[in-house]
Amino acid sequence: MPDDRSPALNTTGGRAPSDEELDAYIRTRLALIGIDLSVLPEEDPDAPADQAGVHRSIRNFLRNTVPALSAYELDPQAWPPVLYPAALPPVGEERVGER
Amino acid sequence: MSDEPQDRRVDRRSFLARMGALGAAAALGTPFAASGSGHFDRTGLRGSSPEGAREFWQGVRRTLPASVDSPAELTASEAAVLIREGTLDPVELVEACLDRIGRWDDRYLAFNTVLAEEARASARALNSEGDDAGLLRGIPLAVKDNYYTEGVLTTANSHIFRDFRPEWDAEAVRRLRSAGGIVIGKTQMGPLATTRALTPDGKITTVNAWTPANPSVSPGGSSSGSATAVAARMASSSIGTQTGGSITVPALAQGLTGLKPTMGRVSLRGVIPLTYSRDHPGPIARDARDAALLLQVMAGPDPADPRTLGLPPVPDYLTAATPRGDQEDEPIRWPTRLGVLPGWADGDDPAASGRRAFLREMEAAGVRMVEVTPSEQWDELSSSLMNAVRLPERTEPFLEYLREDVRLFGVSLNSWMQGLFLSADEYLKGQRARHALLASTLDEIFGHCDAVVQTGHVPFDMIGLPLLALPTGHRPTEDGPRPHGILLGAPPFGEERLLSIAAAWQTRTEHHRVRPPVLDELREARLLPPAGASRGRLSAEDVAERSQ
Repeated sequence: MPDDRSPALNTTGGRAPSDEELDAYIRTRLALIGIDLSVLPEEDPDAPADQAGVHRSIRNFLRNTVPALSAYELDPQAWPPVLYPAALPPVGEERVGER
Repeated sequence: MSDEPQDRRVDRRSFLARMGALGAAAALGTPFAASGSGHFDRTGLRGSSPEGAREFWQGVRRTLPASVDSPAELTASEAAVLIREGTLDPVELVEACLDRIGRWDDRYLAFNTVLAEEARASARALNSEGDDAGLLRGIPLAVKDNYYTEGVLTTANSHIFRDFRPEWDAEAVRRLRSAGGIVIGKTQMGPLATTRALTPDGKITTVNAWTPANPSVSPGGSSSGSATAVAARMASSSIGTQTGGSITVPALAQGLTGLKPTMGRVSLRGVIPLTYSRDHPGPIARDARDAALLLQVMAGPDPADPRTLGLPPVPDYLTAATPRGDQEDEPIRWPTRLGVLPGWADGDDPAASGRRAFLREMEAAGVRMVEVTPSEQWDELSSSLMNAVRLPERTEPFLEYLREDVRLFGVSLNSWMQGLFLSADEYLKGQRARHALLASTLDEIFGHCDAVVQTGHVPFDMIGLPLLALPTGHRPTEDGPRPHGILLGAPPFGEERLLSIAAAWQTRTEHHRVRPPVLDELREARLLPPAGASRGRLSAEDVAERSQ
């Protein structure tokens, strides 16, 4: 059964990718970087992981998280990217504003 | 000793301007780096003044329990006082913990490795060192199994590390040992720090110490074993790691006080990474004093972890966790404004009653309540969507293992695979969103208060701000009483503030002193399932959904 379609995809005016197209994308990406899923059983609910479950998980991620994140807008002048937001300079004399 | 906590002495504007550069420098840090920093005061007194330490120990001394069944029932601070006074032998304390592990851990499954002989030898050796052995002299500690421990299996509950014996201690562990702490064992955890403690293939292991007969009740993840070890009094205190709630969630689930410090306050060198920019080492302890004691030792710069460098000096956490003894009616240490979210204390359930009681007691302790209302944008920036940006950081350091054999990831595989499918522009979008979230947090929340109640861990995990969990009561369930509690957040390096609030609350209440049921009594009453009975399992989908 196809996974739920993300509303975000419909706003692009394009056709939402099918399961088969996403699976081809997944296989291609994994082949490019040398990751082999074929060592997993194709479908086995009793196994720790199976190929069908991994594909289903990634398809959901691609349909829901990726387009929504891509569509989120931030002021390009306001927020340069930072990995460690909590990092601080040494304590100085200046106080944290009036309290 | 300072007359005000560190969060009052930080210039937020210059820090916002400086973050980008620090982020780039910190990206050089890797937990796989070589060992050897050596910058540590072995007394563990970095940041703590002699006066502060004296006041701390005096405060602990005043509240010692009249008697206990076993020294294992003592908190770490209480045991430390008695050891310092010479009335408790570290060997006796270690033996008491080992006795309980031996009798009970076949049911709790809190430990992966018990270091019985090593702990005994360490305790005996301390007896010959006198008072110079540090703040944690003789205190048995449980260490999550993702901290490197020299010569000791460090598995992270994963096939990947099943035979891994590091040649050196993680910096946090090294500091704890240098201050006299005794590592009594390595604790069970969610595979690779993802969810509640499981075998790599998904079988449930550790149970909640409050409900040992019902494995479906989560012990909290992923530092499950550390929390259960402390709650069940098999170790005096413990350390865990938090990337997505893994210190505060188990602390709340098991009636403990968990403290996730500010990113960079404690070195991550020697911690198996889950998410470089969100992994935080910290204590899971019996109370605020024990959390302060451990953090005092663990905190500080480490030349091998750039995330710890260029930060404010380590303050005096012991003083922060010591309520003013001479003002019993107003025990909060510093004037404090606590931000309260609209509706936070509403409700008819015991947890809501606990929240209201907390506000009442804190007001009586001199805390001023301030209503804070984060904007819709704050909610968006801290949503599960933005939370997903963490995933490529877990994938990248493990690529060689993914290439070798994806079966090494067991039940944890899905989120590692998802991390391969976020593009660089989307990842950068997430880093920009974190910057915006931090600015929004400092403005909309900490522009009005010194600490704030929280309903979840995700926002403060995303931006590396400190979080503290503490118990506020217990509710009846068909499995017996179970603890509930609250989360408090603070601005960068607000650990002192959080500890001062928690200490004031714990001076006025006894919830942190209530222990889980004694396993021997459950066993005698035949309320436990047979040892070795199946505890159920989580699927790969379950783990991805609950992943930290």
